[in-house]
Amino acid sequence: MPITDGRSSRLYAHLWRWPMPVWQLLFFLVPLCFMVLMSFWLVKNYRMEPAFVTANWEKMFSRGYFWNAYWRTLGLAGLTTLIATLLAFPAAYALSFKVSETVRRWIIFLLIIPFFTSFLVRIYAWQVILAESGVINAGLATLGIGPFTMLNTAFGTIIGYLTLTLPLVVILQTMSLSQVDRSLIEAAWNLGSSRVRTIATVILPLAKTGLIIGAVFCFILAFGDFVSPYYLGGSKPPTLSILIIDTTKSGQQWPRAAVVAITMIVTLLTVAFAAVALAYRSRVRR
Amino acid sequence: MHNKTTGRFSTWILRAYIALVLVFVFSPLLASMVFSFNSDRFPSLPLGEFTTHWYKAVWNNDAVPEALRNSVIVSLCSAVLGTFIGFCTAYTDYRYQFRGKALYLGLALLPPTIPLVIMGLAMLAWLSRAGLSGTLFAIIIAHTVMCAPFAMALIRLRLQQIDPNLEAAAWNLGASEWRTMRSVIIPFTRPSIIAALCLTAAVSFDEFAVAWFVSGLNKTVPVVILEILQGNVDPQINAIGTFVFIISITLVVITQLIVMKQNKGHRHGR
Amino acid sequence: MKKTTDQTTVSTGRRGILKAGAALGVSTIIGAPYIRPAHAAPTEINMLAWYGHGEPDMVGAFEEANNVKFKPKYYAGGDNMLALIAQSPPGTYDIILSDAEFVQQLNAAGYIEEMNAADYPFDDFVHSDFQKFPGHWADDKLWSVMVRYGHLGVSYNTERVSAEEAESYKVFWKPELKGKVGHFDWHLPSLGQISLYGGNNSPSPFDIDEGAWTKVQDITRSLRPQVGGFFDYGGTFASLKNGEMSAMCGIGDWITGVLERDGAPVASVVPKEGGIQFTESYSIGKGSEKAEIVKKFIQYMLSPEGQATSAQMAAYPGFCVTNAGMKKLQEVNMAEAQRTGQVEGAANHPVSLIKEGRIHYRDIPKQQSLEDWNDFWSEYKDA
Repeated sequence: MPITDGRSSRLYAHLWRWPMPVWQLLFFLVPLCFMVLMSFWLVKNYRMEPAFVTANWEKMFSRGYFWNAYWRTLGLAGLTTLIATLLAFPAAYALSFKVSETVRRWIIFLLIIPFFTSFLVRIYAWQVILAESGVINAGLATLGIGPFTMLNTAFGTIIGYLTLTLPLVVILQTMSLSQVDRSLIEAAWNLGSSRVRTIATVILPLAKTGLIIGAVFCFILAFGDFVSPYYLGGSKPPTLSILIIDTTKSGQQWPRAAVVAITMIVTLLTVAFAAVALAYRSRVRR
Repeated sequence: MHNKTTGRFSTWILRAYIALVLVFVFSPLLASMVFSFNSDRFPSLPLGEFTTHWYKAVWNNDAVPEALRNSVIVSLCSAVLGTFIGFCTAYTDYRYQFRGKALYLGLALLPPTIPLVIMGLAMLAWLSRAGLSGTLFAIIIAHTVMCAPFAMALIRLRLQQIDPNLEAAAWNLGASEWRTMRSVIIPFTRPSIIAALCLTAAVSFDEFAVAWFVSGLNKTVPVVILEILQGNVDPQINAIGTFVFIISITLVVITQLIVMKQNKGHRHGR
Repeated sequence: MKKTTDQTTVSTGRRGILKAGAALGVSTIIGAPYIRPAHAAPTEINMLAWYGHGEPDMVGAFEEANNVKFKPKYYAGGDNMLALIAQSPPGTYDIILSDAEFVQQLNAAGYIEEMNAADYPFDDFVHSDFQKFPGHWADDKLWSVMVRYGHLGVSYNTERVSAEEAESYKVFWKPELKGKVGHFDWHLPSLGQISLYGGNNSPSPFDIDEGAWTKVQDITRSLRPQVGGFFDYGGTFASLKNGEMSAMCGIGDWITGVLERDGAPVASVVPKEGGIQFTESYSIGKGSEKAEIVKKFIQYMLSPEGQATSAQMAAYPGFCVTNAGMKKLQEVNMAEAQRTGQVEGAANHPVSLIKEGRIHYRDIPKQQSLEDWNDFWSEYKDA
């Protein structure tokens, strides 16, 4: 970087540097830290009182329903990530290698559209579609099949999660697949490698980082979503995000909700860092 | 192995698969549009009669215009603030090296990893202490936190493509840093700035979890939708959804056109 | 995003647009809190209530006559209500519709203003219990006035459950209803009903010793395999209407009444083990600057017109608390009065049911803490 007039340059630099840390400190880090603090507070007669007790942590960590919800949420989000990744890959592969540039751009545009529509409205529509007297079962009934119970089940929850995540995963995968150097693929083919083998040995390793990033985003979104398990899963059984809402609703137990929240954040950060490390390491090895 | 017929066959299968994915993504959208004109309160097949009743109900629902006004204010302010902060961060990352930069970037990109329910919880706990809960400011503050990383990512991607010598050349020609910013960096990143404004406005416009926690009596459109979903569940939801969808898609298309036209203008201008 | 790398043109002409944009942005930020609707603003009354109380069918006439505008915030369940008040600055809510059993907590926390008994038609109340409802008075001071109530029992789909079967809570365990029994997602009404099923009706299903509480928990757990979901107001409503659930625990006519009006094959009945009464009362928010007009509104809600309106509330019906109100309801909507038993001599007359001892007022647990019940409810949902 060229050196210019010292003072103005420093002013200039700081002006760009500081808005983000100031804002995120005041309105992001401090609230999160406050939440950690709050998890040690007491609730008496529906009012929070500053204190330093570990009762909330002991209470939540000793409850079977907390740990059940924890593993269940982890499992559901993990399963959704797996399903979304698998479902998205053929589409992303086709978008990257089997359609023209124009078609690809249009389809990506179509996949972006859901982000500009209300997620709640889409979930409500699924509710109507999946209900026992809903559209799918009515359609199946004309064929003499069904009815199937889809609403208020884990299936419903996962449909909701996929509604949230699938378009994003397809987009991210496509972005990373289309950056794979085509000449490498052709080289593999020329060397007699089969299609499946080419995907496994050439394309996947090259696109790994993008695929992992897509999976991480999918996991984060599914892990924290409360709308799908509530409105499509019937809160039966509840996930951690529903547990948070239930806990804040009942008896003003914010400190306990904070315990759940902190556990979720720690889990997410661990997963995210592990995944990013994985993505990064493989790149270095290459 | 790669004979033409199987290749073409698999290509068509894969294309059909893309169509299937699009069907999954669009079926709830289309269904909600269809249901918004359907007389049944809980629609099924066969559909009921065509009606504009739900749109009339929305029209007469006092909560909607106010929520729309709140939503517009909130999403405009959060988009401008979030994009500004995102731009500053992206430019800092592009231009400067300093100690603790990894931490700096970590802080910048962390918010999207925090689930919205938790953001809502933490924001409400904190902002109610600061006496801000229940105001539009509270929602704007929270949404700006969420929007800034997206804006930063978009603008940073664009800065990646700038010729690093360009800024230096401008300085060597005697332009001040401010002038270079104004006449080199900003014009160059303008498409990404517009895209960031658009994306962050959309993120804010559809955000309901945090808004639900902190909004109190000042509800935004998604909060009203959530309350109908928790309340008397009626197809007004579909009518509001369709209406909002048309507005945001119009915005997206307009932005797209502006960006495209601008790109064209630049190319011709050379 | 379209990637073009050739845009290096230094364009000064567009600076103007950018400036205008920035100015617009800044002015919206600064102007945000000051933007008000253009028309002459009526007085805004902030209301905290169960869903539907601030809707036009309930408050429209009063709003028009008094140039006020209600701004409702809805909650579900008394603990949810307390949480919402605690999170808002004092004086946020001008009028609070509370479940009767939570008035005491509202008062203890200092969230509500004292009221003057002479302002309200207590003499005309349909039942003497309602005049001095527990918790509404403290040291001979009035803190809340009951405006409506309703009864909770077995709610069911009449095509899948017969009226005879619905005469007992036992129906929830019917094998054919596996996965078809829904819960209203709040512990008090559901556990209260199961407590009644377990025989705890004297003095109250909510006043039970540890042994009985353990038994209630066991009975409740045995219901879990039957349960198809836990729902908020909207979910309860939708899942009964679209046939997703065939029977519902913890609710009553307040949900099925609306669906019946809509033509759905559902009904509610107070079974032989007895039913629970929900009671809704209005209080004036502490520090409200609109106490005068709020008082006027509560008086309106207790007037014959207000009572008849409340009985037919679009979101969910409730019984009239005054005789004049009941008479008015009979005048304006005899069918609804008959459907709900609010006519002289009806077998299901709400006050007769209370006097026969078949109805128990919903309450907070007397011998356990609310937290115990809450905790069990979380565990039960998770099972």
